[in-house]
Formats: sequence, structure tokens, C-alpha cells
Amino acid sequence: MNVAVKSIQKILLTMLLALAIGALFILFIGENPLEAYGALLRGAFNGKLKIGTTLASFTPLLLTSCAFAVAAKAGAFNVGVEGEVFLGGITAAYIGINWTFLPAPVLLIVCFLGAMTVAALWALIPAVLKAYYRVSEVCVTILMNSVALYITSYLVSGPMSAGVANAQSLPVTVNLPQFMKPSSVNAGLFIALITVVFMIWVLNKTTFGYKVKTVGTNPSHAEYVGISPKKIFIQSMMLSGALGGMAGCIEVLGVHGYFLNNFAAGLGSNGMLASLIVKNNLVFAPFMSFFLAVLKSGAMGMQQSTGVPKSIVDTITAVFIIVATMELLFQFKDKKNKKEKSK
Amino acid sequence: MDFGKIFSVSLIYATFRSATPIIYAALCAAITQQADILNIGTEGIMLTGAFAAVAVSYLTGSWLLGVIVAMIAGLIMAMIMAVGHIRYKAEICAIGMGINLFALAITKFLLNSALGKSGTFSEPGIIAIPRVSLPFLAKVPFLKEIFDNWCITEWFVIVLIILVWFVFYKTVWGLRLRAVGQFPMAAQTAGINVNSMKYRAIAISGLIGGLAGAHLSLGYSKMFTENMTNARGFMGVAAMYFGGAHPILTAAGCLVFGLTDSIGARLQAYGVPSQLVLLMPYVVTIATLAVSMASKMAREKKKKSALAKA
Amino acid sequence: MSEYVIEMKDIVKSFGNVHAVRNGQFTLKKGEIHSLIGENGAGKSTMMKLLYGMYPIDDGSIRIHGDHIPSISPKIAIEKGIGMVHQEFMLVNELTVLENIILGFEPRHGITIDFDKARKTVEQYINQYGMDIQLGKKINQISVGEAQRVEIIKTLTRGANVIILDEPTAVLTPQETKQLFVILQNLRKDGKSLVFISHKLNEVMEISDRISVMRQGNYIGSVSKEETSPAELAKMMIGREVFLNIEKTQTKPGEKVLEVKDVWVSGEKEISKIRGVSLDVRAGEIVGIAGIDGNGQSELIEAIAGLRQVEKGSVLLDGKELGGLSPKQIRKAGLSHIPEDRNTRGLNRSMSIKENLIAVQVGEAPFCKGVVRDDKETMEYAKQLSEVFDIRPRDPEISTQSLSGGNAQKVVVAREVSIGGKLLVASQPTRGVDIGAIESIRKILQEVKAKGMGVLLVSADLEEILSLSDRIVVMHEGRITGRLKAEEANEDNLGLLMMGGTASAKERGSTT
Repeated sequence: MNVAVKSIQKILLTMLLALAIGALFILFIGENPLEAYGALLRGAFNGKLKIGTTLASFTPLLLTSCAFAVAAKAGAFNVGVEGEVFLGGITAAYIGINWTFLPAPVLLIVCFLGAMTVAALWALIPAVLKAYYRVSEVCVTILMNSVALYITSYLVSGPMSAGVANAQSLPVTVNLPQFMKPSSVNAGLFIALITVVFMIWVLNKTTFGYKVKTVGTNPSHAEYVGISPKKIFIQSMMLSGALGGMAGCIEVLGVHGYFLNNFAAGLGSNGMLASLIVKNNLVFAPFMSFFLAVLKSGAMGMQQSTGVPKSIVDTITAVFIIVATMELLFQFKDKKNKKEKSK
Repeated sequence: MDFGKIFSVSLIYATFRSATPIIYAALCAAITQQADILNIGTEGIMLTGAFAAVAVSYLTGSWLLGVIVAMIAGLIMAMIMAVGHIRYKAEICAIGMGINLFALAITKFLLNSALGKSGTFSEPGIIAIPRVSLPFLAKVPFLKEIFDNWCITEWFVIVLIILVWFVFYKTVWGLRLRAVGQFPMAAQTAGINVNSMKYRAIAISGLIGGLAGAHLSLGYSKMFTENMTNARGFMGVAAMYFGGAHPILTAAGCLVFGLTDSIGARLQAYGVPSQLVLLMPYVVTIATLAVSMASKMAREKKKKSALAKA
Repeated sequence: MSEYVIEMKDIVKSFGNVHAVRNGQFTLKKGEIHSLIGENGAGKSTMMKLLYGMYPIDDGSIRIHGDHIPSISPKIAIEKGIGMVHQEFMLVNELTVLENIILGFEPRHGITIDFDKARKTVEQYINQYGMDIQLGKKINQISVGEAQRVEIIKTLTRGANVIILDEPTAVLTPQETKQLFVILQNLRKDGKSLVFISHKLNEVMEISDRISVMRQGNYIGSVSKEETSPAELAKMMIGREVFLNIEKTQTKPGEKVLEVKDVWVSGEKEISKIRGVSLDVRAGEIVGIAGIDGNGQSELIEAIAGLRQVEKGSVLLDGKELGGLSPKQIRKAGLSHIPEDRNTRGLNRSMSIKENLIAVQVGEAPFCKGVVRDDKETMEYAKQLSEVFDIRPRDPEISTQSLSGGNAQKVVVAREVSIGGKLLVASQPTRGVDIGAIESIRKILQEVKAKGMGVLLVSADLEEILSLSDRIVVMHEGRITGRLKAEEANEDNLGLLMMGGTASAKERGSTT
């Protein structure tokens, strides 16, 4: 328990530092940081619409941060979550538009399954390349994100286009009900929450979870005790992909009702950020995702009521991650004896 | 489809032109890689350099100042990574991605607040890197098509490749750097300050990364767009991988992308959808990476095999 | 001016929770060979690493040539004339021998390296001391003995007059050890002062002028060679009588549990590639593979365990062909394996003792019900094993990160031995482990044999091979150079075989 308290302490300190640096940037452009942050909070929480928007932002981040964390537990750096969201979304859109021969509830489930399967297969490629050919999955997944974007962009400008000026697909025939209109938060929020809780249980209580943790911390040992590092690595990446695909499906079915070109921009990277900040801890990641969602949805309000542009939020988040990755920062609060720079 | 129009002499220059920003990025990554540090932040360093170059060039009217400030900006970003990774033990991929996202955000932020624009910045006041026209080439038509009108940084990249090769394999510093990358403890017990070497490697990498960005925004084009690097930094990292961090092999790899890029641009004239053309370089990069790593593994396996002749 | 070249007083050094040196004292006279002995974990290696500046001292003082040096780094140590030949060679595989020797002290031509000058300088030293070294080869192409000579030349070219050797004979045959001692005597004649770290008492008695003993981080005392004996030294080292040579239990070996037939396996270096090795192990016997580390033993064991591909030939476990099977399937067929590297292979240091104890059986009952793990059963099992195998500390929840070498090894041994099975492969089972743990692990191996398992023992420690094995097989450069019954074997004939020499026809003609 002491470890958990220390971790939370560290995250909070890091958050303060990031906000402080953000304040410096705000001062630099001649605005008042306290006003700006106040406007940000109001933008996120003031009123039903704002809260709903924050929750709507939160939903995909829940899943993408979990996706990144799950892969990370097996030792994979899956930057490709964004691409998996896109592909999940396009698959859900395709099924939702075309497979109308299925009754609505079944169609809904099949949309999810389809999205998750395609996204998992998308993640299979970098997984195999890393497991069998030692190709850096960081490089490959980043490059594949661009490929995913272009493929889906092509599809909704061409074959799947709705024929309107905006690059988007035809509307899907099933939806996830939105419950806080006019914001776009929908039933997907609960699906996401349940999924994340399920993932936490899987990783902590099942043999699969044990295998993932072993492979992620010491693949050589894993191989020796009879766990196949290649298989577990690939399975975790595919699971990660599936979670990303689920996020894409929820966005298409719950938020937009159709596939909107480039809708997932930033969803993967923000999820990755949230996970990296909390050191890929599956329990803390949802909380960090919520914080980032607050920042994101509050940014618009901040930009409208003060002169501070939205991009300051991205800057603060980026500073947050940079500071958060520094393991030894804020260690001075620990017992002085423990700080040994030698092995 | 007229293959003659696609595969013409001008393709050679087009390939080189496309490849140059990636070569710079690859050299940036190669330097730290010799010290066994994966510079995932190359993309961010490059983007920061690109913005700094355009902004300073516009504000001061000097391209040279733009390039210098871009290199310094790259240095600063790299040093943040260096301090975080070496002193505070940040995982290199994590802080590298952090730098990338930070670069995206800060360039967007400064574009909005300092230059008052959004999306693209393309003013006539931007002074680009000058192009060189060699008089004796004007007489030879074939060479003229290929070598004429190169900007200074395109000439310089060739110099840089040779320079980096020389430093790695012929100088004292290069030997120590490679020792640090392959077996840091051996270097330490030889009296070498391992951390100091790493800092220097990352610093130099930052300078080159900044230069890469300056070339991208002032040499290759004459503007700044949000996220204009568009994963080219990562392509550079990929090229570094299959060149084994060897400058000459790495540069050769970059030419492959340049070629795909240029051919793709020409294919667009034949009605191939733009997105499919745009994704070709990425797919080719991934495929090349896969093939080169696979063949590397196969070679290693053969070397270790007991069935091989002693 | 002090008579001592080196003076280390009241040294204290800890690494986190581990108190490596509690009270370290050491002096070195000019021109002497001074041995520093103690069992694994006594702190002798750490003392010298502190002298060489690899870590800062927590407390105490160090004087070199009479000057007090408040903070040392390897660079300063080298400048002051101290050189160190480490237990694990500090050589970069991809660079050549010459490049490794000059690293850090490269002769320059401006900013480039003057390779010609480098070669001339180094060759001078090579000729002066008559060492057989080839400068052009890459490190991954040379033998262990040659690598050690390179390490010694490194210290000489840097102008060392104090040379520390950390367990240098651990990787040498008895004959190579004699050659090394000749070199050391020559160095001493030249006025160099030498520190010789070892735990091999016979060698220490042969080479030293003075001997200092450390135990559990404390300096116990110093004696001159004339005043002491191996038994005395052992008592100082351990603090009590030691019973390492246990009575070998007599059993009647049964059926063959392991058959290795003309097996070819890839190797990290040319000399460690396996080219046509055959051997077998029967139930109820211990077969020992003797040989210098790096002659293919690791590769052979990995091949048997399924961690490396068998390129040609076959491996049969209890009659079942293992070729192409995964490590998991091989374990299911009846293999248990104590690996030579407990830190990367044997344990997952980031996990707790209990998680490590069930690592192999995590997917089976009773440690899981379907997909869900059963924590209670796991805990029960872990507590049981901790008791039986005397793992300290007793709490199975704590991480294995901070366990001592001996206790960490006991976790591995506990796990592997308790799985049962038909064949136990034990690779360097007592390396880097304290005396108490060595005693228990050797006893456990005998018990396992008595229960009817076959045991394949790999050890670079000749004494261990001789005291435990029923039959001995010697490996050199990926081939078997000799097979003997335990009664026929001794340090000399084994040493000869380990160097690749041929045994007499009688010895070679023994049954496999």
C-alpha cells in the first residue's frame, strides 16, 4: 500500500510541475494562468453539456490508455493504437451500414466483434515483425498509423463515401444510445468502463495475466520456464489492438453515427500519454485518462473565454509526460539512504 | 501509363530531393544509436527545427540565422531528452515520444500565438536556403538535369554522410562512442566517462536533427505546416535500423523512400487516388525494415550455425 | 613515505540493503603478491572495485603511494598506476584485440587514431612478457585464455605497477593456471605489486606472499604464506569447519533417461559450436560435464532444454525424441533445469519468491482453477518450499530482487527439484553462492540422484565435478575429449582433457 501512496504522490507532484510550466507558457503570451485554468475547469464541468462532452472525451481514452498499458505489460510499445481505432471504426461503419440482414441487437454486437477483430489483425503485423524478426514495433506501428489514416480516408472519400462535401461514410443503421444530449456521451462509456475493469482482473488474477507480466519483465526467464514469449507478445498486442478497435467502434456508433474522416486524431496518442504518465498501471490509467479528457474538453472553453489557444493543453500534456517519465525526479522525498547510483 | 514519363532522368534528382530530409533524420538517429540510445525523438527534434528555421528566417530575413537557431532548438530538445534519460532514468521510448508530442504542441502553440497563424505558415518574407547553380554543369545536359539547382543543404548532406562515417570509424571519439554503445562497462573501466559520451552524442544528434528540420522547411519547401515532418523522422529511424547505424548504408536506405515518394507523386498524375500514393512510402519503409531485419537474422543464424564451415 | 603502495582503511560500502563491505582493511607492499580471499559474497571483489574507482566508498580512506585520494574513478586509478583484470572480461566483442587494448588511451594523429603507433607499442609489451596474443582478431574469435592475456596487456600498456586480478583462474585449466603463475612471477620480478583475489586455497598457497581473509564484508586478518595452511585459511574464511566433500551415495543406475546422439548445435563463438556430441545419463546417476566455460556446455544444455535448436542429431528423454519440441513440452516430458544464469533465466527478479516458485506450473492445478490463479494454494506451496529448502528471508511475498546469491539460487533449486521428473540438468549450480548454500545444494543433488532421477551436472569447478559425479565427460571446443569413471579421474587428467589434450587410450576406452 505504501508503494501505491508513493506513486500517487509522485504523479500529483508531476502534475503540479507540468501545470506550473504550462503557466509559464501562458504568461509568455501575456495571459493570466489562473484565469486560464479556471476557464478550463469551467469549460469541462460547467453545465450538463460540458460534463457530457468531458465524459464523451473520456470514453475512448479509457480504452486507448488501457490498450497501450496492456501491450506495455508484455513489453510492447504499441503506438499503433490510433491506427487500430481508425480500422475498428471503419469496420464498424462497414458492418453497420451493409449488414442490415442481421437484427439490430445482433448487428450491434457484430459491429463490435468485427471492429475488434480487424483491429487485432492490424496489430498482428507489427507484433509478428517484432517477435520473429526483432523489428522495432515503435517504428512500425507509427508508420502503420499513417497507413491506417490514408486507407480509411480513401475509403470514405471513395467507395464508402456518403457523397457529401465532408469526407464521411453513410450513416450506420445501429447506434449506441446517447444519454446526456446534446453532448455525445453514450452507452459506450459503460461498455468501456466494464471492459477496463475486466482487463484489470485478467491481468492480475488469471494465468494469462501472469504470463504477460513475466514476458514483459523477463522474456528470457519466461522462455525457460515454458512460457512462449513470442506467443504471449503477439497475443497481448492483438488484445491491445482489439481494445483500440472497440474504442473506434464506440466513436462511430455512439458519437457520430457514421465514419468521419480522421475522427480518431489524437485518441491513440492521448491514451498512450495517459498510460505512460502512470507507468502503464492499469488501475491509475483511467484516472489519468479522465484528467486528460478534462483538459481536452476544457480547452475549447478556455480558448473562447481567454486568449489562450487550445494548443497550450497539448503542450502541458506533453510536458507532463516528459516529466513523468523521469523516474528519479521527486525521489528526494524518499529515504536518503535508498538513493544509490550504483547497482 | 507512360513509363517514360515516370522513369525519366529527373527521377534521380527527385529521389535525392525526397530522400535528403530523411537522410538528415537518419544521421541524427545513427549518432545516438552508436551509443546504444534509440532516438525516437528524432521526429520531434526535426519538427522543432523546421518551425524555428521558418520563424527566424521570416523575422530576421536571414536563412543562415534560421538554420543556426533551428540547430540550437534541436539541441535544446535533445538535451531535455538527454537529461531525462541519463540523469533521471526515463525510458528512452517514453521520453522520446514525449518530446515528439511536445514538439507538435509547442510548434502549434507558437504558430498560433507568436506568428498569429494556424495550419500553414507560408509568407513571402520567408527566406529559403539558396540554391546553387554550377556554371560548368550548364554545358553537360545530362548532368545538368540531375545536379543543377541544388540547395546548399542538399550538397551539405553528402558532406555530412562522409563526415559522420569518418568520425565513427577513424577518430578516437568514434571508437570510444562505439565502445560505450556496445559494452559501457568496458569503456568505464578504460577510464572513459560513459555519461559524458552519451550527453555529447545526444547533443550532436540534436544539432543534426535541427538541421534536418531547417532543411525540410527552408530547403525542401519554403513554409511551415503543422506536423510537416509527417513521420519522416521515423522513416529516418527505420533507415538507421537497416543501415545498422552505418552512415553510408543508412543513406542508401533513405534513397529507397525517396524513390517511392517520387514515383508515387508521378503516379498521381495518372489518377491513382492521392491517399494510396501517400501511403506507399510508409508501406515500403515497413517492408524494407522487415526484409532487412529478417535477412540480418538469417545471416546471424548462419554465422552461428555448427553446420557452417569453420 | 609509507612502506605500503596501497592502504585501504575502515572501508564501508553498501548497495541499497546489501552491506557488501562492513569493515574493509587492506594493504599492499611493493613487489608482493598479496591474495585476498573469502567465500562468495565476502566482499573481496567489492573492495578491489572500490580501489579501482568503479564505485564511491561510503566511508573510510584509501591511500595510493602514500597519497590520500578522496575520490577515485577508473581514470584516476589508471593514472595512479592501478590496473584491474576483472572476473568478467571488459572486452568489446565487435572490436579487435588492438582496439580493445588501446581504448581510452589511443595514440593520436590529431583526432584520428594512429594504428601503426598503437601496434608498435603493444607489440613491445607482448614480446617483453612473451604472451601469445593476436592483435587483428575480433574479441568474439579468441579463446578465454587469450582474452585474459589481453586484459593483462591492457593494464601493462597503461603503465600499471599495481595489478589486481579478480578470480583469474576461474576460467583456466590447471595447466593454463601454471602458465599464468609464470607470468605473475615475471611481473613481480619487474617490480609490479599484485593483488590476487581467489577462493581456491591451493592456488593461493602456491602464488602468494601474504594472504588477507574477508568474511561477510569484514576483514578477518592477514597472514604470510609460511605461517598458514589451506585448512587454517578455510577456517578463517568460513568461521567453522567445512564439509564440502560429502560421502558419495552409491546407487545402481537404471535405464537411460537422457540420450544425446551425435548432436550439432549452433554456438555464440566458433569454439562453442557443438559438432557431434554424444552422451547419456541413466536414472540414479550423476554425469558431470567438465570443461572451461565457453566450450559449448551452455549451448549443449540449451539444446537439451529446447532453448536452442538442435541442428543435427537427436536428443531423447526417456526414449522420447525432443527435437523440435518447445521448452514447455520438454519440461512436460520430464526435464527440470537449474540454469547457469539465475538472474536472467532462473528467476524473474522483479517478482516475488512465491511467484518464482510456481513459475513453471502456473497454468496447472492446483495453482489455478481454469484460467483463474489460486493464490492460497500458491502461498501454501511457497511456504512449504521455503521451509524445506531454508530460503531466507522466509516470507514468500517479498521480491527476489534483494535476495543474496545463495538464497536466490535456493529458490531456483527448490522450484526445479520439487517439480520432480526424470532428468535434472544442473548448470553451474553453486556459482557465486556462499558456502552454506553450496553445502545444501550439493546435498540436494545427491538426494535427487538417490530418488532415482538422472542428473546432468555442468560445472567449471573441477572439485565439484570430482566430488559429485559418478561418471565424467570432458568438453573442449564443442567436442567431447574424454570420458571417465569418477574413480579414474583426477585434476591432472581432467585438466589435460579440458585443454583438448588426448587422454591415454585406457582412459578414453572407458565406457560412456
